[in-house]
Amino acid sequence: MMRFIIRRTLYALITLFILSLTIFTVVRLTGDPVSLMAEPGARAEDLDRVRAEWGLDHPYPVQFLSFLKNIATGELGKSFNYEMPVSTLYFQRLPNSLELAAAATLLSFLIGIPAGLISGVWVNTGWDNFGKVVALLGLSVPGFWLGLVLILVFSVWLEWLPTSGKGDWRHLIMPALALGWYFAASLLRLTRSSMLEVLRSEYIKLARLKGLPGYVVIAMHAFKNALIPVLTLAGLNLVVMINAAVIIEVIFAWPGIGRLLYEGIFQRDFPLVQGVVILAGCMIVLINLAIDILYAYIDPRIRLTR
Amino acid sequence: MVRGVLAKTLVISSAVLAGTAGMGIVGVLAQSAPGGAAKIEPKGSLTLAWHTNITARWLDPQHHDGTATPDNFLMALHDALIKNFRDKLFDQPALAERYEFAEDAKSATFWLRPDVKFHDGSPVTPADVKYSFEHYRGAWADVLHKNTESLAIVDDHTVRFQFKEPFLDFPALLGTGNVSGAGWVVPAKYYEAVGQSGFLQKPIGAGPYKLVSQEAGTRLEMEAFDGYYRPVHIKHLTMISVPEAATRVAMIERGEADIAYFIPGELIGRIKNNPKMMLAPVLSGNWWLEFPGFQDPKSPFHDQRVRQAISLAVDRKAINDAECDGLGKVDGNWINDDVQYAIDWPEWEHNIAKAKALMKEAGYPNGFKVDWVTPTPAYYSRGERIVSQLQAIGIQSKLQVMERGVYLKRLQGGLKEWPGVQIIFNATRIGGSWSNWYESMFKCGGFNSQDFFCVKELDAKFDRYLASSNPAERKTLAEAIQREILEKYYFVPVFRHTFTNAIGPRVQAAKWEDVFPTNRTAGYPYPWEDIALTEAAAVQK
Repeated sequence: MMRFIIRRTLYALITLFILSLTIFTVVRLTGDPVSLMAEPGARAEDLDRVRAEWGLDHPYPVQFLSFLKNIATGELGKSFNYEMPVSTLYFQRLPNSLELAAAATLLSFLIGIPAGLISGVWVNTGWDNFGKVVALLGLSVPGFWLGLVLILVFSVWLEWLPTSGKGDWRHLIMPALALGWYFAASLLRLTRSSMLEVLRSEYIKLARLKGLPGYVVIAMHAFKNALIPVLTLAGLNLVVMINAAVIIEVIFAWPGIGRLLYEGIFQRDFPLVQGVVILAGCMIVLINLAIDILYAYIDPRIRLTR
Repeated sequence: MVRGVLAKTLVISSAVLAGTAGMGIVGVLAQSAPGGAAKIEPKGSLTLAWHTNITARWLDPQHHDGTATPDNFLMALHDALIKNFRDKLFDQPALAERYEFAEDAKSATFWLRPDVKFHDGSPVTPADVKYSFEHYRGAWADVLHKNTESLAIVDDHTVRFQFKEPFLDFPALLGTGNVSGAGWVVPAKYYEAVGQSGFLQKPIGAGPYKLVSQEAGTRLEMEAFDGYYRPVHIKHLTMISVPEAATRVAMIERGEADIAYFIPGELIGRIKNNPKMMLAPVLSGNWWLEFPGFQDPKSPFHDQRVRQAISLAVDRKAINDAECDGLGKVDGNWINDDVQYAIDWPEWEHNIAKAKALMKEAGYPNGFKVDWVTPTPAYYSRGERIVSQLQAIGIQSKLQVMERGVYLKRLQGGLKEWPGVQIIFNATRIGGSWSNWYESMFKCGGFNSQDFFCVKELDAKFDRYLASSNPAERKTLAEAIQREILEKYYFVPVFRHTFTNAIGPRVQAAKWEDVFPTNRTAGYPYPWEDIALTEAAAVQK
C-alpha cells in the first residue's frame, strides 16, 4: 500500500510540474503583459520601466525557476494589478467561491439526483422523457444566457431578487441556479444511467425475488450503489465550480475565484493566472490522489494491479 | 528634447480663464472652486457600477499609468496642486490656492491652501508635495524629473520648482489628471511607512472621499471626508466592479446603482426608453481608418483616389446610429477637438457613385481584395460594418479579431506585423495636445505608428513645431500638418464615439451635464464632491 501511495504521489508531483510548465508557457504565448498596463499612446520608456519593475526583462528560464521556487516555498508571486500576494487574493476570494459552489452543488443535487432516480426507475415513461428534456436543456443552454434571463425575469421584471453582487441569501439564488443547472443535468444523466445499470444487476433481482418491497429495493440496495459514481462526479464538479465559474461570476459580479482568473487573463496578470491555475490544479490533483488511495484501500485489486 | 506636449498658448489661455495673467502666468481660485462655501452635511449613499475590474494601482497617483482610467479614482481619494475641474483644463487651483508660472517658464511657485489635510488628519505640507513629486515614478516621470533643477520648500505653504530650461509644458503635465500623477500629493510619512503595496491596500489622500474598505478588484467603500476644503454632498460613495453591461443596466433599472458606466449601443435603448433614467453620452475617443504601408507603390492604397473612395464609401451615420445610437459625432478631424491646436473639419461625404468612379480612375473598377480589416478590440462589430460597407465599391475583406494586448503589441511591432493589404480601424483618446496624437499615431517611429506611414515632409514640419517657441508658428504648423493628413486621406476619420453612461433617478440632475460636467476633459462624473442626491434619496437608508 505504501509503495502505491508513494507512486501515486510522484505521479501527482509530475502532473503539477507539467501543469506549471504549461501554464507558464501558455500565459507568455499571449504576449507582453506590459502592453496591457498602458493605453495606446503610452511611451516606450514607461513600458520599459514597468517591465523592469516586474522582472519581465529577465530570460524565460530565469522567470520559470523563480516561479518554481515561489511555488515550492508556498509563494505564488505578487499580482501585477493588485500588488498583493496571489495566495492572499486567492484565499480572500475562496470563501465566496466555496459559498457559491456549495449552493450550486446543493441545487444540482436537489434537481439532478431525484430526477435521475425517477428517470432510471420509470424508464421510457413520461417522467423519463421530461428528465431527458431537462438534461438536454441543462447541458445545452449556455450559462451566460441563463444568467441574463434570470436577471431579467427575477430582478428587473418581478423585482424579487437583487441583480448581482454578494450579500444575503437572496444574492446567492440566481448565480447558484445558473451555475448548478448544467451540473444538475450532468448528475441527472449519470444517476439515470447508473440506476439503469444497477437495476439490471443480479443482486437486485435476488432482492426482488426475496420479496422485498420495491421502494426498499430501490432506496436501500439500488440507489446506494448507483450513487458511488455520482458522488465521485459531484466531487470533481465541486472543484470545477470553485475554480472555474468564470462566466457566472462575471455576469453576477460575484467576487469569486473564477472572476479573479478572468481578471488575471483579461489584464494578462501572469502571476495571478499562474497562481489560480496552479492552486486549482493542486486541488484537483489532491482530490484525485485521495480518491485513488481510497479506492485502493477499499479494493485491494487496484493497488495490486497498478 | 521634451516631447511636444502642451505649449505656451494653452497655458496662457487656460490661466486667463482661471484668473489673471500678471507677472508670468498666475492661477488663482476659480469661481467654481470656492474654499469658503456654506457648510453642507453630506447625506445618503451613491453607488457607481464601474465597467471593468478595479485595479489597485489606480488608487495610487505615484504610479499613474498615463491613461484616463485612474482619474475616476484619483478625483475621489486624492487631490492635486492644480487639476482639471469641470470643463476647465489642467490649471485650476486645488490643493494650491494659487500658483505662478514664471514668464521665462523657468520656475513655478505654488501656495498651498491653509489647513488642508489628509484623511488621517495630518496637514498637507510642502514636504509632502516635494516627496510626491520627487518620488513620482509614473507616466512622464522622466520628462518631469529631467527638466526640473530643484524643488525648494520656500516656507510652510510654498514650494518652488526651478527648471533647467524653459519648461512650457510643465503646468499641463502636472495638472492633467489623465496624463500624469506628478502633481497629486500623497502623505510622505505614511507612504514611506507602509510602502507602495501597503499604500495600495489602504490609500490615504487629501481628496473629498476617504477609503473605508476595499475588496480587491471588486468593490470600494468610501466616506465623505469632513476635512475637505470644498463641500461634499453625499456621505457614502460605493464603487462596484460590474464587468457585464447587461448587469449594469439591470442594476440601474432596479435602483441598485445610481450611475452606470459604459452602456453599449445595443443597450442604450433600454435606458433611453425609461423615463426615470438619463443617458450621459460623453463624447470620447475618435475612430479612423488607416492603411499601413500605403507608401509602397505596390499597395492599392498608395493611390490617393483609392483612399478617398474608401472615405466616400463609409456610411458614418449608419455606424454612429448602430454603435452609439446616433449619439456620437460623425464629422470632424481624427483628433479630438478638446485638445490644443486640433482643427475643426467639415462633415465627410458619403457617395458610392463617386467612390466607384474614383476606384475606376485608379485602375480598380472591380475593387480589390484586402487581407484583413482589424478594429481596435473589443469593438469588433464596428469592423464588421466597415467590411460590409466597403463591399459596395468592390473591396472584399475579412474581419480580423484580436485580443487587445495582442493588437497593441502588433501595432508596436510595425509593418512586419501587418503583411499584405491591411486596413486598421484604429481609435484612441489622448489628452493635452494634438501633438500627442501625431507623435504616437502618425509620426515615423511613433509608438503606435512605427513604420506604417512615414510621410517625411510632415515629420519635418513636426520637428519644426517641436523646436519652435513661437505660439503662432506652432499653431500654423500644427494646423497645416493636420490639414494635409485629412486632405490627402492618409487617415480616413470615421466618427467620434460616445462613452455612454446612465444616471438613475436618485441623482440630482436636470440634465446629464450636471453629473458629467467634465465631459470636455474626461469621461467621468467628477468633481465627486459636487454630485448630490435628490432630497428623498438623500434620506433613504
